[in-house]
Formats: sequence, structure tokens, C-alpha cells
Amino acid sequence: MNEVDIVKSLKDVFVDVLGHSSFELDKETTANDVDGWDSVTHMMLITEIENKHQIKFSLMELMNLNNVGDLINTIEEKIKS
Amino acid sequence: MAILYDFPMKFLLTLQESLKIHSKRNAFFIDGTYFTYGQLDIKISQIRYAIQNEIPPSEKLIGLVTNDDLETYAGIIALWFEGKAYVPINPIYPIDRNNQILKLTDSSYVLDSSSDSAYKTKFKVLNTNTSGPVVSQSLKPNLNLGEPIDLAYILFTSGSTGTPKGVPITLENLNGLVRALDRDELFNLKPSDRCLQMFELTFDFSLVTYLPPLLYGACVYTIPKNAIKHFYIFKLISEQELTVLTMVPSIIQFLRPYFGEIHSTSVRYCSFGGGKLYNDIAESWSACIPNCQIFNYYGPTEFTVYSGYYPYDADKKKKSNNGIVSIGKPFYGVDYLVVDTNNNEVSVDTVGELCLSGIQITSGYWKDPERNKSAFFTRQENGALKRYYKTGDLCYKDTDGDYIYVGRADFQVKIRGYRVELGEVEYHVKKKLSGIDVVVIDITDDLGNTELGLAVCSEELDLKPVLSYLKEMLPPYMIPTQFLYVQQFPHSVNDKIDMKALRSLFNNSKLKK
Repeated sequence: MNEVDIVKSLKDVFVDVLGHSSFELDKETTANDVDGWDSVTHMMLITEIENKHQIKFSLMELMNLNNVGDLINTIEEKIKS
Repeated sequence: MAILYDFPMKFLLTLQESLKIHSKRNAFFIDGTYFTYGQLDIKISQIRYAIQNEIPPSEKLIGLVTNDDLETYAGIIALWFEGKAYVPINPIYPIDRNNQILKLTDSSYVLDSSSDSAYKTKFKVLNTNTSGPVVSQSLKPNLNLGEPIDLAYILFTSGSTGTPKGVPITLENLNGLVRALDRDELFNLKPSDRCLQMFELTFDFSLVTYLPPLLYGACVYTIPKNAIKHFYIFKLISEQELTVLTMVPSIIQFLRPYFGEIHSTSVRYCSFGGGKLYNDIAESWSACIPNCQIFNYYGPTEFTVYSGYYPYDADKKKKSNNGIVSIGKPFYGVDYLVVDTNNNEVSVDTVGELCLSGIQITSGYWKDPERNKSAFFTRQENGALKRYYKTGDLCYKDTDGDYIYVGRADFQVKIRGYRVELGEVEYHVKKKLSGIDVVVIDITDDLGNTELGLAVCSEELDLKPVLSYLKEMLPPYMIPTQFLYVQQFPHSVNDKIDMKALRSLFNNSKLKK
């Protein structure tokens, strides 16, 4: 799975959880840039992403996610290992 | 170090002293930056200068935009030192609601640290994020400007009628809270403490996370508005080695899947409040913070944040009811009274509504005489008239004098005429679904009947074993008939479960079917 596929799958999860699609996801995107992405929906996004990619994030990994770029990198690493 | 808060506004002088004594120490850690008490003192002084020059003495209730920065905290203290109260308005709330609040308090002035204030068209805005002249350093808090009955703040909570309801708290009320915390021998803050402040300043719980640390020279660690709260808290605990945590229980509910990764030896106190603390999660959380004393605090906004607590770790009995940890005993000087529906005291071990009396009691809801008539009452005790606030919480007192929380009076619902305590049903569901978050809620079906809904925080699972267990334990009317699976419960910005939103999730899911 390459980066483009991951972004595409992320977009699907975000639309599903947040209930709208009026946002762009690129590496620099943060919770500030997307309507409805807050502390509570973040936890829902994480669970969905984990289910979709059959991965499990550690607390250390989650703690250091600052933008969508970090999220993509972490998913990529998880899928590889 | 015990400070005697012996006269009604003593805490303001203690605060003033603390700013001087601890000037080299850190007062705040905000979004990655430390600010010393010295810097805080200068900021307060600049804001006081602006207040003295721009706000007339007759204006007492001043709006405060609650940004996450030094200016906002300095603004609160500057207002107190100038004999004024803050009316917090949250930039994340709709501006119409905030305007409504400022209108209710007749405020014409707003302190705002934002570069472009959203309030400048309707109010006179003092931008606190500028470096202006300072008031004379020797100037003490203007205690002669104020009276003990002057307000420290007014907070608004959602009212069932649609108009936010205001709770005014005086300087004397607040001094009472500080005095009670200061007298407590189990909880003692030190200048070396690093304390979590995770609350919005529009939530009264924030008073105990920034005020006591500042009085004792400790450092307050805030959460940036755009941070993912739960993870940021963990980041602070692990990287900044926080020593004092004050949280709502829902935070550890969210972190629960990761407890195995948490081992924080720096934490010495962990206070919970603002919601039910369950015995099972308190026990597992306790293992994550092995050197810590856990306290379960209780108190409503109407009684200035806290009225008492249960020392969870200090008491070997680990008292609970339906899995909910006891709320312990009232503070020194606070009286608890459990009453029946006629406001008569009930006997030990009998459930009734908990009422509170003492120096921390609010003078009453803001401009709401109707509500005040039903929420407060007076009672003759030992020849004196005492005023009580009715909390709406159902409790009983045990033979040790500890108070046990049973549930909200308004969570006691009637199903087919029977009174049902939602917490009791939850307790039994949790017996079978341990480690999974559940909420039992009353919902109205298409025919207008009240039914019990069970919301489970998980993927869809087989509930048959749960239901057959419930049928063994409970009468038929207490068995939930509607079911909903959610990834997360909807929460309000104060991290309490939003029952209204949850109820509408039930209704929406029915529409889909």
C-alpha cells in the first residue's frame, strides 16, 4: 500500500466518522483544519483506522501524531512490520 | 505550610505574596513555553493599569474570553485585584450564546487576548495582549474596592429551559474553598509541584486546577485548545513528569486501552470529580500511577467546586455502591444533609437527596427567583437558621459517616410506573461486560412510552448472555429493550457524557432501521 492509497483510505474514514467531506487531507493538515475533528472524534478516527488496516497504535505513537503526515508515516511503518 | 484564610478575602493577599516570593519559579507551562511568577506579576500589573484607566469603578462584571494563554489567567487575577468579577466566555462556543451570557450579566466590557476580537462590535474590548504601563509594584490588591459579597466569577451552565443558567460565586465563597483545601492534611501542594490544568475556564472545575497551585508557588500545565486532549495529557504526565492530576473520570476511560503502557512514578496526587468514578477503573488506573494518592472529590458549581472527598487510597475499605466510589465526608465547615421529598432529614443508610450548607454556597441563580425557590431552603439548627442547596444527587450516609453516591435524582426514571435507578442497571451490565464502557439511558419510543436503552461502547457483540444475566438479577421492567453500539459516547466540552446527544443517537438509529 503506497502513500496515495493510505491518504485515500484515510479520507474515507474521515468522511465516515465526521459525516462531511468538506476538507482536504495533505501531510500538513492538522485537527485545526478540519471541522469536527476534536478530542472525541479523534479517538473514533483512530479506532476506525486501526480496524481498516488491521493495526494497533501504541500510546507513544498516538501521543506524537501532530499532523496527517505523521499519521501516514506511522500507518506505513505499521503495515510494513 | 498552612496559611490561615481567616478573613473573607485573605486568598487575594496570599496570591499577591506568592507572586513576589516565587517570582523566579515557573507559574505556567502553556503550549510548550514556561512563564515565571515574575512574568505573570508584570502581566497582571499591565492589565490592572488598563482596567484602572479604561473601566469605570461601577462596572463589576467583566467578560473574559478564555484563550489558553498567560494573558487570560493574568486577566482573571487582575480583575480580582481590582474588585471585579470575570464572566468567562469560551471562544469555541457559538458567539450568539456568548453574547447572550454577556447580556444576562449586563457586561459592557470584555478582556480578550485575541489579536482580532470577535466582540469588538458589541462590547468595549480591552486587548490584554499588549505590553503597556504597569501599576505601581507596591500596590496591593484593591481590597477596599470590594466587599466579601462581591463576585469572583459567574459561570453559566446549560439550562433545561434553553436560557443558560448563571451561578454567581463571591470572593468569600472562593476563600471558603481555598480555606477548606488548605486545612486538608492529606492534600498539600508544594512549590515543586507540577499540576495539570485540563479544563476550559468556563467549567468551574478549573478553579481548583489553577488557583491552589498559584497560591503555593507550583507550576500549572495547560492544554492547548487544538490539542487532542487525552494524548496531550499523557504527554505532559510522561514528558513533564507531572505530580498533581485533577481530571474527570472520562479521561481515563479513553486512556483505558493503553493502561498497560502507562507507568508514571512522578504523580503523587490524582483528584477526580465532575462525574462518577468507578471502582474497577480507579483500581486499574492506580497501578499506572504507583506512588499516587487517589481522591474522589464531590461538589456542584453552586457550592464553589468542591464540598468534600473520599480518600480512595487512604481508606482500606474502598467503599462503593453499584461500583461507584464513595464521595466520602464533607470538608471542615461544610454540612451535608440527606433529605426526603419534604426536605426532612432521613436516617443513616436511607437514600435521599443530598443538600449542602456552608460558606461556599452561592447566593442563588443569577436573576432566577423561581429556580431559587426550589433549589434552596432554610432550616432551624441549634437556634440558627441555615441555608441549604439541593444538589439533585441521591446519596445515603453510612454508619462511618461516609456519603455514598447513588445517582442523579433526575436519572431516576419511571418505566411502566416503576422507579428505576439507571446506575443500578448499568452496574449489572458492567458485571457481564467488564472493561467495556456502557450507559443505560431512558428513551421515549414512538408510542411515547419510556424505554430503557443500553448504549455499548464497542463493536456489535452478542448481548444474549448479558440479557439473560439481567433477567436473573433484575425485575423485567429494568431490562433494556433498545440497543446501540457506538465507538465513543458523545461528550460535552467539559468531558461529561452528553445524555441528550446520546438519546438522539438512539432515535436516529431507529430511523435507519
